[in-house]
Amino acid sequence: MKHELLQKLSEYVEFGKINQSSPYPPQMKGELGADELTRQLLDAGVEAQEILTSGLMPGMERIGLKFRANQVFVPQVLMSAKAMNAAMIHLKPYFASGAAKQKGTFIIGTVMGDLHDIGKNLVAMMVEGNGYKVIDLGTDVNSEKFITAVRENPDAVVGLSALLTTTMVNMEKITKEIKEAVPGTLVAIGGAPVNEDFCKKIGADAYSSDPQGVVEFLNSKVA
Amino acid sequence: MIREFNFKFDELVIDYKKIESILGYTSGQLPPPFNYYLEEALTEAKCLADIRGCYRVMDDPVILEKENKILINDEVFEVGKTLCKEMRGSERLAFFICTAGSVISQKSETLLHGDDPVLGYVYDVLGSSIVEAAGDRLQSILEQKVESKQEKITNRYSPGYCQWPVWDQHKLFSLFQGSTSGVSLTASALMTPVKSISGVIGIGKGVRYREYTCTLCSGKACIYRKIRDGMQIPLV
Ligand code: B12
Repeated sequence: MKHELLQKLSEYVEFGKINQSSPYPPQMKGELGADELTRQLLDAGVEAQEILTSGLMPGMERIGLKFRANQVFVPQVLMSAKAMNAAMIHLKPYFASGAAKQKGTFIIGTVMGDLHDIGKNLVAMMVEGNGYKVIDLGTDVNSEKFITAVRENPDAVVGLSALLTTTMVNMEKITKEIKEAVPGTLVAIGGAPVNEDFCKKIGADAYSSDPQGVVEFLNSKVA
Repeated sequence: MIREFNFKFDELVIDYKKIESILGYTSGQLPPPFNYYLEEALTEAKCLADIRGCYRVMDDPVILEKENKILINDEVFEVGKTLCKEMRGSERLAFFICTAGSVISQKSETLLHGDDPVLGYVYDVLGSSIVEAAGDRLQSILEQKVESKQEKITNRYSPGYCQWPVWDQHKLFSLFQGSTSGVSLTASALMTPVKSISGVIGIGKGVRYREYTCTLCSGKACIYRKIRDGMQIPLV
């Protein structure tokens, strides 16, 4: 029974079913949602950790893969993130008390000079949905802010986003300065004008064209 | 002379098909809540009073095709090879700035970071469509104006596209002597409000209008290209 409910929860996340009153997705109209089911599972004594690992994360992973394969687009991913958030509200106290743990910390920001942030937000949501603590520094972020955040969160991985070729230069500068200040820090980069070659050239550790790629990178390094 | 316009939402031709496809659906197939969200955003957009645009026509541009540059008065625009070619035959150049305004830009930002990122995204996509539609409107006003002189116009091109660096926007903005339709530039040459565009349109008897297509752009990870490929619909 527990497994079936966790499976159901993963589907609620995958398809973005937030709560019972939510009309989306049409095929789940009238059913419960991630909100109620998470509460039910906790009340039935299922551990918060298990809900995260076996319910929420698989759902988030599936939507990430569908997004990569162009089967769904940004709004559907945002619906999944919303369903995930509705569930996380119930789980937050367990993370705060240490009863449940996230896999690691990811610090993300759009680099100095750039104001684009939809892509960055999406990456932040997907990484969080895959079991990481995410610190979002916002847009127009300089090296100093990244370095301070890394110092406050040792072992965190940094994600840099840029949508303009002009701000790619800043990506290089920020990557170098982070690595100088806190040697060994892993830096992942992404955004429309960036590619694998550029990543190698600036000494970053991973490039990915979509959020799922950075999740896979994190899983390979941290988890 | 600088010409400035205030656009009403209703006089703009919004590309609804494109909005729906960016949201991931074919035309007329938006399910709840996206259809409600779009309706809500459209209702609010009808009240927007800060959709604005301006252009300034400059005479006698010198198009240096070998050097990939265009000279206007004493200003050098490093527009790149593609644009020099597109501007070939222009007797005059119209520089423009357009904005969907700060209201919608802020609305989407607040929602995206707050209560409802999905609704925020709908506003974001609508805001982008509005500024593009304002660009279309400005372009057609210009087209009508030059038609009387038997002249034609090119498509519009923006700094940041086709190897034209964004920092040339500083030069572009300086042509407007402060009358920039409420749009300002950051030091790194980005415009605020976010939902703004700027660029240039060629005018002359011998110019050609060419559609802007994915083939002109090298962005492989572009979300629009992915939508086009994923849904097999012809998006530019
Ligand atoms: C919508 C859009 C606009 C809109 C709105 C912009 C906004 N900020 O709200 C409007 C029409 C207003 C606009 C204006 C301009 N734009 Co514009 N715009 C776009 C467009 C079409 C989509 C951007 C978007 O919303 N994407 C949706 C998100 C989900 O995708 P994403 O950001 O790419 O993120 C994904 C991946 O990149 C990745 N990712 C992102 N970050 C990270 C980080 C990590 C760590 C990882 C792993 C992955 C990752 O994951 C995300 C999800 O898959 C892009 C084209 C494109 N290729 O993306 C151009 C684009 C960004 N714009 C561009 C330009 C030039 C401009 C202007 C400067 C043009 C002008 N002079 O008028 C202005 C500037 C506006 C300003 N305020 O200063 C250029 C930039 C090119 C360059 N050479 O630098 C682009 C790339 C278009 C192009 N083909 O050349 N723009």
